[in-house]
Amino acid sequence: MVRFENVTFRYDAGPYVLRDLSFHLRPGSFHFVLGASGAGKSSLLQLMYLWQRPSGGAISLFGRDVGELSRQDKAVMRRRIGVVFQDFRLLDHLSALENVALPLRVAGRRNSSLDEHVVELLSWVGLGDHIHALPPTLSGGQQQRVAIARAVIARPSLLLADEPTGNVDDRLALRLLYLFEELNKMGTTVVIATHNEQLVERFPHPVIRLAGSDNMISGGTRRTAGAGR
Amino acid sequence: MIVGRRDVPLDNDASARFLPWLIGFMVYLAALALAAAIAVSNLTERWDKGLSDQVTVQVPPDIESDGGQDARVQAVLEVLRGKVGVVRARPVEPARMRELLEPWLGSQAATGDLPLPSLIAVTVDRGDPPDLDALRAELREAAPGATLDDHQRTLGRLLEIAHSLQLLAMLVVALIAGAAVVTVVFVTRTGLAVHRQVIELLHLIGARDGYVASQFQRHALRLGLAGGVAGLALAAATLFGLSKVFESGGEAAVIPDLSLSPLQWAILGATPVAAALVAMLTARFTVLRTLARLS
Ligand SMILES: Nc1ncnc2c1ncn2[C@@H]1O[C@H](COP(=O)(O)OP(=O)(O)OP(=O)(O)O)[C@@H](O)[C@H]1O
Ligand SMILES: [Mg+2]
Repeated sequence: MVRFENVTFRYDAGPYVLRDLSFHLRPGSFHFVLGASGAGKSSLLQLMYLWQRPSGGAISLFGRDVGELSRQDKAVMRRRIGVVFQDFRLLDHLSALENVALPLRVAGRRNSSLDEHVVELLSWVGLGDHIHALPPTLSGGQQQRVAIARAVIARPSLLLADEPTGNVDDRLALRLLYLFEELNKMGTTVVIATHNEQLVERFPHPVIRLAGSDNMISGGTRRTAGAGR
Repeated sequence: MIVGRRDVPLDNDASARFLPWLIGFMVYLAALALAAAIAVSNLTERWDKGLSDQVTVQVPPDIESDGGQDARVQAVLEVLRGKVGVVRARPVEPARMRELLEPWLGSQAATGDLPLPSLIAVTVDRGDPPDLDALRAELREAAPGATLDDHQRTLGRLLEIAHSLQLLAMLVVALIAGAAVVTVVFVTRTGLAVHRQVIELLHLIGARDGYVASQFQRHALRLGLAGGVAGLALAAATLFGLSKVFESGGEAAVIPDLSLSPLQWAILGATPVAAALVAMLTARFTVLRTLARLS
């Protein structure tokens, strides 16, 4: 599903953010990416959703070398990837409902039964009363849940979530993680980046640890890596 | 509920306010230039039709002999009427001649004292015209001094001027179209920069470049149509006003007729559509080209 081979990454001529990283995430797996602030978690996810290119090494997604993808190929591949961005990236001029429906629209799927589906999902994440609200009128945690709903609405094969529980209380954080687990059970490969060790410890999933640019530890596919049980 | 909202909020941009004005102004100018070109082309067509089968034979007055004029005209008419390719030859009535000359020569001409040349209006068969040079020689034989004027020189000059005017009008239209394209390119690039984050997000959730382009092209089409229709309405009002002024001026013979055929009205009516299409295609092309350069 996701294969990194000796991947290094840095921004332009800046210091190395990721160095010699190799791992393979199998289809249907569930991984955490743990690391302190600035360790490169977001950068790693950006490589996975094709927003950055590796400075060295090779990445393959869905069995294809990402270096060989055209712009159109990338667009189509991204439809199979749901992303919860650390900064949400909601469109402020669209309602919660429209934001969540956007991936369906972009993929050319539009009919009213999907609309129901969107409302249902928004209710599930606790936003049933806010489906017509514009993002700027929502709290940070509410915006984050809209972002999560948008990431999962199209049933992606790969879900990448960057600090998806950073703005919500522990109870809601657990509820959201259970949502990710539900998706995972239905076959979605899940990768969650977080610095919340306590939360990670409550789940039995393998961990990829990033520890700053100099002494990079790659979690690989070791099921027991890091805090996993 | 979902359909109909615009993903890229272009409606709030400054461009949404000034682009229709610009396009309206351009369509206004282009429509006037087109109307001028069409009017000139109508005029030349009328000249062409009216004059190309008309020749005039002039028999100069014979001052010495008094009564020979009619005989000479008669001889000329005989030559003309016997010719293949001559449809009709009719002397212009002396009374009509005097009427025509009066403004220039004063009422003296009207008294009939002044010796005037006789004119014969000849209609030739345009499909099978007689050899005019041979005809000239024959006419000179029948009546010394008789000349034949086929108006080609006058007509040629007029047509030349008319064609230059038309060319100029088309050049103006082309320049306006060029200016419109440049404007839309600029507006679209600005829009791409202003909404970079929205466009990035669209790409991140799997939008193709064409999806983004469709947002911009729809916007440009709408603004172009709105501005174009307004511009055309103003142009129509202007043309209507001008034709009224000309009519009341009584100089209808000199000023080109501004009445257009339905087809010509349709061409004018198509200018806003053309402008909107140009704006739309320009926007689409600009977006696709700009985005393609990103990767
Ligand atoms: N656009 C950028 N240009 C240059 N350097 C960047 C850019 N984004 C991140 N960096 C640098 O890359 C390193 C890793 O950043 P990254 O955002 O991946 O960390 P992170 O683990 O996600 O941190 P956090 O937990 O705070 O989100 C940091 O040192 C940061 O300064
Ligand atoms: Mg981050």
